[in-house]
Amino acid sequence: MKIVMKPIEMIAWFNNTNHPIPLRFRIESEDKTSSVVKIDKIIFKEEEKIAGNKMVIYRCEGIIDDLKRIFELKYELTTCKWFLFKI
Amino acid sequence: MNDRIVFHIDVNSAYLSWEAAYNLQMGSNLDLREVPSIVGGDQEKRHGIVLAKSIPAKKYGIRTGETVYSALEKCPQLIVVEPHYERYMKASKAMVDFLSDYSPNIQRYSIDEVFLDYSNGNLPYMEAAQKMKEGIKKELGFTVNIGIGPNKLLAKMASDFTKPDKIHTLFYNEIAEKMWPLPVEDLFMIGHRTKKKLNSRGIFTIGELAHLDKNYVYSWLKKPGLLIWEYANGIESSDVKSDKSKVKSIGNSTTLPFDVTTKDEALKVILGISEMVGMRLRELNMRAHVISVSLKTSEFFSYSHQKKLHIPTSSTNTIYKTASTLFEEMWDYNPLRCFSISLSSLLDEDFIQLSLFEDFNEKDILLDKSIDHIRTKFGQDSVIRSSFLYSGIDPIIGGVVAEENYPMMSSYL
Repeated sequence: MKIVMKPIEMIAWFNNTNHPIPLRFRIESEDKTSSVVKIDKIIFKEEEKIAGNKMVIYRCEGIIDDLKRIFELKYELTTCKWFLFKI
Repeated sequence: MNDRIVFHIDVNSAYLSWEAAYNLQMGSNLDLREVPSIVGGDQEKRHGIVLAKSIPAKKYGIRTGETVYSALEKCPQLIVVEPHYERYMKASKAMVDFLSDYSPNIQRYSIDEVFLDYSNGNLPYMEAAQKMKEGIKKELGFTVNIGIGPNKLLAKMASDFTKPDKIHTLFYNEIAEKMWPLPVEDLFMIGHRTKKKLNSRGIFTIGELAHLDKNYVYSWLKKPGLLIWEYANGIESSDVKSDKSKVKSIGNSTTLPFDVTTKDEALKVILGISEMVGMRLRELNMRAHVISVSLKTSEFFSYSHQKKLHIPTSSTNTIYKTASTLFEEMWDYNPLRCFSISLSSLLDEDFIQLSLFEDFNEKDILLDKSIDHIRTKFGQDSVIRSSFLYSGIDPIIGGVVAEENYPMMSSYL
């Protein structure tokens, strides 16, 4: 996996446990076309607080361009922003 | 009291480490700590000094406090990062939170330094220190130095020995071996001028200072001399104060991107700073007795004036009025680059002793209260004085971190 760290638009599900659950996101590629990726499975999630900045990392599985891919998403708690971290 | 164990935890090149850790978290593939880099102010705004440097930058002879310009001359490929104080507050808070798992007695000495009393800890101190150091590295992504000693002074001296990412001890029986051979200016509280004084009488190491006769030191350097003599012998007994000490003074300053040459502009800057210090003072529910203004000219010459009021004040208007009279008294029409106002002799707001010789306007209190209220609710720029419109000067000036009490270094342990 390579680090990309791109901000993404996200639809997530907030339940009564602690962290939100990502469902699907939209990402813009270089040619300005956007594609939607559905998250089929969250393999694991962990919280980090590097330099005091809390973020949740999700390793997920989903289908991108007809291929099953593994990628990592990051959620920054202070800004409520989602990122595609690694793919 | 004899078997106290005090830790001093010091973040290695704090601002730079925190910037580096944050950048890595945000997906950067460059670790600033591994290349020549500095955290420095904006040169355009003339805030351009080096605030922190990486270890590779140190090899180029770059020192904290020098100008970014001269640092770039020493190392043209140097990476300069702008400071982000709110990130540093966050990182510092996270570290204190992490450490509070080990001991409830924690004193935040500055943004990147913490004293921790581990006298009653349940682990052997070396193991605890090891765990703290590794835990901070793993969880928070930056490295610290830990000094362990029987008091705060020796702990602080120990954390300074070799860097980064190390643990050092300095107990009484180690003073002769570890502290005395060091140059005298490495001792806490010995600055550039004391060093000169000591050197002039042939004292170059901490050991030489420690071996002087106490009465001789007193007759020569008086009370401060006794203090450094005690420090040189490892004598220091202050507690690790976990509660916040009371605020003794409030001040804000600003360095402007241009030189101020007209009285009109200067007074606007003073008004802007008055707004800030006034707001901070009222937030603490305190009043100030003494107001002082200091100025720095474009040639880096500084001077200041202060005034004691009859009635302690917390009103922006009174602060401004006093500050502008002080300003007019001392300004010699040289171009100015830096302004600061500080308020001291602070008192609680509970009651006020009025005076026959000064006016007291109760409406000022109400006015300030309403303005503060509006500003906290709708943002700092929601109400500003119209004189600032189109002036190019900020209506509220100053503050490293506007909303938080930024812990600064002090010369008291």
